[in-house]
Amino acid sequence: MKEIDIEEEIIGTLEGMLGESVLGSKSPRPRRVYIHVKPAAHKRAISALLQAFPSTIISTITGIDLGETIEINYHFWCGKAEVTIRTNLSKSKPEIETITDIVPGASLYEREVHDLLGVKFANHPNLTRLLLPESWPENSYPLRKDWNPKQTGEIHDSSEKTLTIGETRTESNGGSLVNVIVGPQHPALHEPERFLFKLDGEVVVDVEPRLGYAHRGIEKAAEHLMFFQDVHLVERVCGICNVAHTTCFCQAVEALGKIEIPSRAKYLRTIVHEFNRIHSHLLLLGIAGLEIGFESLFQYLWRDRETVLDLTEKLTGNRVMAEYSTIGGVRRDLTPILGDEIKKKLQKIRDRLSFYKEVFQSDPTIELRTKGIGVLSEEKALKLCVVGPVARGSGVKSDVRKHDPYAAYEDAPFKEILYKDGDSWSRLMVRLEEVGESIEIITWAVDNIPSGPYRIRVPRRMPRGESLSRVEAPRGELIHYVKGNGTAYPERVKIRSPTLANIISFREMIRGCYVADIPAVLASLDPCFSCTDRMVFVDEKNGRRWIWSMNDLKARRRDS
Amino acid sequence: MRRIKMPQMIVEIASAVFKKPFTFQYPFTKPKVPEGLRGRQIFHPERCISCGLCARDCPAEAIEMVEVSGKKMPLIHLDSCIFCYICVENCPRNALTESTFYELASTNKESLALRPEKPESEGEATEGE
Repeated sequence: MKEIDIEEEIIGTLEGMLGESVLGSKSPRPRRVYIHVKPAAHKRAISALLQAFPSTIISTITGIDLGETIEINYHFWCGKAEVTIRTNLSKSKPEIETITDIVPGASLYEREVHDLLGVKFANHPNLTRLLLPESWPENSYPLRKDWNPKQTGEIHDSSEKTLTIGETRTESNGGSLVNVIVGPQHPALHEPERFLFKLDGEVVVDVEPRLGYAHRGIEKAAEHLMFFQDVHLVERVCGICNVAHTTCFCQAVEALGKIEIPSRAKYLRTIVHEFNRIHSHLLLLGIAGLEIGFESLFQYLWRDRETVLDLTEKLTGNRVMAEYSTIGGVRRDLTPILGDEIKKKLQKIRDRLSFYKEVFQSDPTIELRTKGIGVLSEEKALKLCVVGPVARGSGVKSDVRKHDPYAAYEDAPFKEILYKDGDSWSRLMVRLEEVGESIEIITWAVDNIPSGPYRIRVPRRMPRGESLSRVEAPRGELIHYVKGNGTAYPERVKIRSPTLANIISFREMIRGCYVADIPAVLASLDPCFSCTDRMVFVDEKNGRRWIWSMNDLKARRRDS
Repeated sequence: MRRIKMPQMIVEIASAVFKKPFTFQYPFTKPKVPEGLRGRQIFHPERCISCGLCARDCPAEAIEMVEVSGKKMPLIHLDSCIFCYICVENCPRNALTESTFYELASTNKESLALRPEKPESEGEATEGE
């Protein structure tokens, strides 16, 4: 009952502050609020929300093509509920005032909507391409319903404007900055992304990240598959946090279809989700060790990570791609024998963790390379709307499992790990301690798992409506927004992965650091660019790019 | 601030010298795969009723219905298969069943098609794991 009061309080507060600008409001389930405002009133609504709830952070912006109009949804987490502020624009002239002046963290989301739906955000400081290549034709917006890949035709990729390596510019203050391009294939990560670093000697003055190199068109492709097939598509957004993606998507569809899954399934989802977190965090800590030149740490952490992968394989049928969650529950049951094995093996990891904690706390190499480097203050973290361990490393409470519980987390005993310093070391320590908490959660879940069915049959067709689901992926808050149109196919699937929220803070962290610290700071962010780039399919060959429709692809595959 | 304290890792490394390697010498020693591993599917042509549900449900569209002696049967393109096992789960007659065979690496694309007309050879291959 208490939660319903919170939603009513939010609706009441906003309606009181906005008066006639509010066209409608609803709260379909606890902690979800939708407020529809008049076209030009969105900014007033958002500032009213910020005024009423100072810790509000933006989750994402979803644009949906409704045929005649384009609907823009601003999703905010105000500390107690997810508030969606909705406004409609005419499709012939989609223009809306930017909100980056009041919410700086919205910058990338506005660019994403601009890129894929062609909405102009007036007064945006840098409304350039985010995901699509620079040579992408104007007036071709892939997420619009009437977009046809054939019409876009061939894209000639000769004119991409890139700066040359080592170009020197004389700045107005007399000094000179050197531009260094790192990437798309860069040393810190095994995923393509380009960074343009502006250096003053050894010191990084500024950085411009360029995303979009691993852009695959998953959001568009999701509209052409049935809901139950989409589960396996969204799983492939990211290999490491695949369970987070499937769980999030399944929860969204279950909320859409008003399906209540068995409680055993919720516990099983929790177990696999935490396996996912342990192996992701151990992977990242190992990578961090590698980046700071501590290879033995990397080797040992990855050896211990293998235990978790083996357990995942035994429970789900694959080491990495679990294919475990499905709409209506999970696909395999946990046997008591495996339950005992899980507890026994996790106990071993727990013993190893205390050793690693000591290493991270006392080792001079780690101390020199991470302490006090790449600092993100709490105030800045809140302003840039960062999520997950990055936010918690700066002392911002942001654990979705705690504040917006899903699956079995409502009853699970665990602490939200917070570190105050906001440097690379804090971010790594948050992850290290979270592994310990995950082990506690799994042990608890295995001991307390209720008996009963683990899956229920669900219809393929889902009703008209919308739902928004949040989970705490290993890298932070993950959001899936699903809109159904009464058929077996979704109308729109919007994915906001944690790295898109966090990448904006890299600029803040790296300013003033040395060049040698770049990989370590970037690794402490735990970026996952394949999560960040989704959507339109572009194939790169001989310097030219084509766009293929799904059918072309199929035909091509059969031919070759 | 700079303490000279590093024995933790040194001891760990030193003790590891006398342990046997953690890794497998694949392909000479093969890892023991768990029972439920999702490997290559086994097709039983005698059970198939040619309903085509597997081909329609496949998220990767890896299944093609081909004509074999007057009957439509699924041909699985293992190169585009994502091993989600929706086909195995949804088959109304259990004509597609699971196996833990995982060594699918091949130098030619032809061998990555699981053809329905050769049911005997499939059985042999799965025994090899």
